[in-house]
Amino acid sequence: MLIALHIVLCIATVIAQATFSSLLTIHDVYPDLCLILACLVGFLSNEYKGLIIGLTVGLLQDLLTPGGIGINMILKGLAGTLAGVTTHTVSTVTVSAVVLVTVVLSLGCGLASLIVAYPALDGSEAFHAISSILIPQALYHSILSAGIFWLIHKIRHAFGVVHFSHKRA
Amino acid sequence: MILEGPLQVVASIQDSVGETWNHYIALQHVWEENQSLKIEIQKLQGEQNRLREQAILAMDFQKLLTYQATVPMTTVPAHIIGRKVSNWYRAMVIDKGAQDGIHVEMGVITNAGVVGRIVRVNPTTSIMLLLSDPNVAITGMIQSSRDEGIIQGTPQGAIHMKYLPPLSSVQVGDTIVTSGLTDDFPRGLHIGHIQQVTKAATDLFQSGEVTPIVDFSKLESVLVITSFQPTISQESQPSAEPLSVP
Repeated sequence: MLIALHIVLCIATVIAQATFSSLLTIHDVYPDLCLILACLVGFLSNEYKGLIIGLTVGLLQDLLTPGGIGINMILKGLAGTLAGVTTHTVSTVTVSAVVLVTVVLSLGCGLASLIVAYPALDGSEAFHAISSILIPQALYHSILSAGIFWLIHKIRHAFGVVHFSHKRA
Repeated sequence: MILEGPLQVVASIQDSVGETWNHYIALQHVWEENQSLKIEIQKLQGEQNRLREQAILAMDFQKLLTYQATVPMTTVPAHIIGRKVSNWYRAMVIDKGAQDGIHVEMGVITNAGVVGRIVRVNPTTSIMLLLSDPNVAITGMIQSSRDEGIIQGTPQGAIHMKYLPPLSSVQVGDTIVTSGLTDDFPRGLHIGHIQQVTKAATDLFQSGEVTPIVDFSKLESVLVITSFQPTISQESQPSAEPLSVP
């Protein structure tokens, strides 16, 4: 049942990415909802779930992107895993920790995607891609992730659900 | 005379009772009726908007189908069902795939001009890269001077025409069409206009910035070129068969 729910969540995220992400566009920068999902699952549960969700949503995204199959799968899986590992390294996952880790993960994934997508970019083009897409997108991801994380945290708190990291501590 | 006074009193009472009845008591259901009518109006407005949207889409698609019937090539009409799946590719998803005869490297056009190229085919969907993506390069030609070059996108989303001959008389505003040298597009399809021409002192070739004829942000349906007949000029080119020497 839970597996089916996760698959539905991944499919819904990829469909939302392909259809509604233009509504979230700011200055031609739009969020990678699949990356945000992988990171949030990692933050809110653990690295294993982050890995599984990241791999699944990445594979589905790969089917709708021109790059080679497996690029998004690996990157999203890695991002979900590292987000999950964050819950081990800090006593409590706070909004600021989410912001910081998401920025780093988004920059890493974006840089890898950039190299794969445009291996023959010259210096000025690479600089433009980094300054006008990569960095704004990382900041956008962090804000969105932090907002959703805060919302879920509040809802969990209201319904008395204990955070994974709290329970361990 | 005696009855006039009481009759007037009774008549005025009757009037006021009738007025009260008509204005208040008989209208007690008007509010509910008004509410239901408002809901009905909202529903009809929604329906009207939906039909208007369908009519616009149908009109656009009809234009595309009319164009499809006039061009000397076999095309498959397709709708755009997804866009902006990744920040790193200027790509769109269409609702036709391998089951509809779509293959990788096929050209994509609209009735206005060239859109891009198919780069991935799934059974029922395909991914096309737009002209503005750096991974797409097609051969173009200045329509007036017949100078050829390579049309390629940049990460910024601009489109450049590269490798124009150094002595080319290319001007701002010149029309660019496909040259037909590659297998994906026939000769003469509109690509765009030259917006700016640049040639540094150390450059061997001229290059130009191109304004595409197609507004990619408003694309809703496209035609995928599955096959095309060579144009007259291509047919009349000399064959590669060796000459027989008597």
